[in-house]
Amino acid sequence: MPAFEYRQAQEIRDCFQRRGIRYLFLGKSGAILLGFPDTTQDADLFVEKSRENCALLVVALRELGFALTAAQAAEVERGKDFIQLKNGPFDLDLIFAPDGIERFEEAWRRHVEVEGFPVCHIDDIIASKAATNRQKDRESLPRLRSFREYWMRRRGK
Amino acid sequence: MDAHGLNEQRLEDRERALGDIPPDWLAEFEAAARRPLETRFRYAFIHTYKPVLDDAPFRAFDTTADYRRWCEENLPDWLGYARV
Repeated sequence: MPAFEYRQAQEIRDCFQRRGIRYLFLGKSGAILLGFPDTTQDADLFVEKSRENCALLVVALRELGFALTAAQAAEVERGKDFIQLKNGPFDLDLIFAPDGIERFEEAWRRHVEVEGFPVCHIDDIIASKAATNRQKDRESLPRLRSFREYWMRRRGK
Repeated sequence: MDAHGLNEQRLEDRERALGDIPPDWLAEFEAAARRPLETRFRYAFIHTYKPVLDDAPFRAFDTTADYRRWCEENLPDWLGYARV
């Protein structure tokens, strides 16, 4: 599996926009969109858990080239809290209930757009990583918090 | 405070906040900010094989806690997915 590419992110953005899917880039992939210089392996999407959104998501994933069986599609439609996809052109994590973020609507209110990509606010990305409390997240948090200071100042807030 | 004074104050606040950032990180943040998004993507996304994690085409977990538990029970420690 080759690394996730910019044009693939654009495909997600354009396809999801056409279908009217509500989602946000989260995790390190979200931070990278905000300008955080670091490395990661896959894209994390925080998807709104609603029946209509999940049904549209299945259609969009198939359009992007994910080979979902009927059973797998049903699990996406049910909005299982965490879904890992490695059966498409790139790896994708779908997160319907991330640690550290109470509700999609709240994250949506705070979100920022970067070249048309909907991205969680840096505070939500940090809150999620802090709540997860994994070794690999703990290691990245000090640098991420420094980036937050830089990013907030750059935005003039 | 007049508008000029306010701007000066904001500039000082910004300098103070940025002063808390380690200089090498600040240099990296500034450099990244100068790069187009497409270039940042090229530098940021890598792919290496992750044992167990990459060995199934699809996994779904009822709860995020179930996923975290599965990671702890099934993935090698060195991948860093275990909670601290």
